[in-house]
Amino acid sequence: MDRSSEHLIAIFFVVAIFITGLVIVGMGSDSGYILHGWLILLVAGFGIKFIADRMMDTDTSQALEYNDDIIKLGILACFAWGILGFFIGDWLAWQLAYPDLNGDIAWTNFGRLRPIHTTAVVFGFGGNALMATSFYVVQRTSHARLAGDVTPWLVLGGYNLFVLLAASGYPLGITQGREYAEPEWYADLLLLVVWVAYLIIFLRTLARRTEPHIYVANWYYLAFIVVIAMLHVVNNLAIPASFGDPKSYSLFSGVQDAMTQWWYGHNAVGFLLTAGFLGMLYYFLPKAVNRPVYSYRMSIVSFWGITFLYLWAGSHHLHYTALPDWVQFLGMAMSIILLVPSWASVFNGLLTLNGAWDKVRTDPAVRFMLVAILFYGLSTFEGSFMAIRPVNALSHYTDWTIGHVHAGALGWVAFITFGTMYKLVPWVWKRDGIYSIRLEAWHFWLALSGTLIYVGAMWNSGITQSLMWQTYDSDNNFLYSFMDTVDAMHPYYVARAIGGLLYLIGALIGAYNIYMTVRGPERTKSRGHAEPVIVPGE
Amino acid sequence: MAIERDKITGRNTTGHEWDGIKELDTPIPGSVKWSYGITIIIAIALIALYPAFPYFSGFTPGLLGYSSRAIVEQQVADAASERAERDKVLMASDINDLVTDSAVKEKYEAAAAILYRDNCAVCHQPDLQGKTGFPNLTDGHWLWSGNVEEIETTILYGINSGNDDERIAEMLDFGKQQMLERPEIKDVIEYIRSISGQEHNIKMSDRGDEIFTENCESCHGEQGVGGLESGAPSLVDSAWIYGSDGGALFKSIWSGRVGQMPAWEGRLSKADIRKLALYVKWQSHAGSQ
Repeated sequence: MDRSSEHLIAIFFVVAIFITGLVIVGMGSDSGYILHGWLILLVAGFGIKFIADRMMDTDTSQALEYNDDIIKLGILACFAWGILGFFIGDWLAWQLAYPDLNGDIAWTNFGRLRPIHTTAVVFGFGGNALMATSFYVVQRTSHARLAGDVTPWLVLGGYNLFVLLAASGYPLGITQGREYAEPEWYADLLLLVVWVAYLIIFLRTLARRTEPHIYVANWYYLAFIVVIAMLHVVNNLAIPASFGDPKSYSLFSGVQDAMTQWWYGHNAVGFLLTAGFLGMLYYFLPKAVNRPVYSYRMSIVSFWGITFLYLWAGSHHLHYTALPDWVQFLGMAMSIILLVPSWASVFNGLLTLNGAWDKVRTDPAVRFMLVAILFYGLSTFEGSFMAIRPVNALSHYTDWTIGHVHAGALGWVAFITFGTMYKLVPWVWKRDGIYSIRLEAWHFWLALSGTLIYVGAMWNSGITQSLMWQTYDSDNNFLYSFMDTVDAMHPYYVARAIGGLLYLIGALIGAYNIYMTVRGPERTKSRGHAEPVIVPGE
Repeated sequence: MAIERDKITGRNTTGHEWDGIKELDTPIPGSVKWSYGITIIIAIALIALYPAFPYFSGFTPGLLGYSSRAIVEQQVADAASERAERDKVLMASDINDLVTDSAVKEKYEAAAAILYRDNCAVCHQPDLQGKTGFPNLTDGHWLWSGNVEEIETTILYGINSGNDDERIAEMLDFGKQQMLERPEIKDVIEYIRSISGQEHNIKMSDRGDEIFTENCESCHGEQGVGGLESGAPSLVDSAWIYGSDGGALFKSIWSGRVGQMPAWEGRLSKADIRKLALYVKWQSHAGSQ
């Protein structure tokens, strides 16, 4: 595709988004909805001007270098959303221990803030980290400039507009009420366009690679992009009530709706928070320790194992519900096998460190990556274990689930991201290294202690409350009321909030360290990281 | 790229290289193959033993004939009959006899306390002392007499609950409906404060006496002692549902009050409701009505 046809297609879609904004502003009756219309108009208008400027630009020559500016933007967005998400998360943790901390205002109650927390960390922090690193990895491993002149910018800008529409909609009451898929139809349509464009630029860049084989990191990124597209479309099939209103109605109802939702929810974890970040691991770990990947074959068997098995396992979120038994047992059976490819990835990562274990001691970024792998192993074991029905009878609806999610999110996803960022930021900004290794180490220890306190508190809390729920006297009467179990959670909730606070402080130190690195001087001597581009972007 | 030998592990590389990253041609460890094998066998066994796979018009039933629906139905039926047996004495006796029976109290009080905390404490508070809008159950002041039978009726059918047998009690909005002028309401407030032993303006309360007799006595009783038939609270004691200061009283008279208590009939079993009525009576300080 040449440059001018790319511009034409891009302008077609951005104008379509602009018109959607006009329709929303013109027909909307709900104030939050109209606000969203203006946001769409603003960003799409900016996009139109951006494309128009590029169209007018007669100098079509392009430097033979990697497109790193887009990665810089992604990294900044990742940290901005991350800090917001961690802050709201910890505020919620304190609210659970001391409910008055919502200030007795509707806007700040748990139900409205909680989706902002999840959206900001999963899609804002995690999504931007994956976009930025996937752009970096696909360019480096293909020796080709990122495909497209304007598309990468529209993808990243459009994606962040989606996250902004999502997070700003919840306090205004704009939500589908589907966990992790809360945004309403117009935001979902925007994400669909953005995501297809993301897939196209990723594939077009891969298509021009110089090495005949596709590196394993790219398989994982590709699985992440393809599966998220599929999940997003199916789970969000809905009919808008009218163009004048954000409300829409899902095509599914009842137990089918629940199953679709958890097929989505489970695989959003499987392909966004797992496959995508495994892609990150497979590039940045060998790069950071300068060692070959331990086993090519093991990366194949674990890739296909994870990709095949995850998609069956969503029903383990609905054990002992109205979901038919056969769906529950099928999900449980697949979840048990899923442990093996997950742990194969763990060992492939750990054994890649062979010959470079000293770096764990000297390089906090590698330490971040090592701990990330360990938490990945812990939470995948826990996940398969909790998918077994009798275990699930103990763990379901308790804080154990919250602890499990955060072992994965804090310990795996965010640790691998931080480790990667401490490497990636000096590379893309062409700095000698990170501003302060000391601060990096502080970030590591704060994040690790925060995570351990968090997860430990939730294990205790979850098992305590579950046992209290199931304790009867000799006449089969409950021994504890629900209220008693809530009282018993209090100390754990305080501990959790403290753990979250440590994590937040660590992330703030990390953000400061990144900021100072970016502000610092360019690197003095040339390093071998940025190899020359062989294939141009157009 | 050529295949090389990695000195540390002694393995060959695969010959691919991406941006400096190489891969070793390490075979898949036996432990991974074995674990795959074992977990796949477990999965196949599960699929064979339990309902686990769909076909066009149904699903494989599994060799064990397992059905979580059948199990839960059996368990619910067992528990219901066991409970009915255990609670037979409760339903077969007169509640007025039960309330004074110390053996009954010993047997049911702990379980009833859990029932109370699970169902009632959100409004009436864990210590039964209520809060603004929700009456204190321990102070011996009752809206509907405090007889244990009446307590049970209230729990069964609720107050302004929409249940067919609900208790209906409504404090009219005298101000909004323009039945009383603002100064008249102020006078009545002073009268109420006088009969409940609070600081008050004598002149105003004298005027309020007359207004009270005309407008309030039919429900709240002569001199405001309360009407156990109408659920209108006594105004001469120290117990206040919505507060006794001028502002709260003004709001009650101006806008009226329609307190609600849900009907628990159908939500809890008759035996559990009976336990709750007994529990409330046992916990209230006033032993006699």
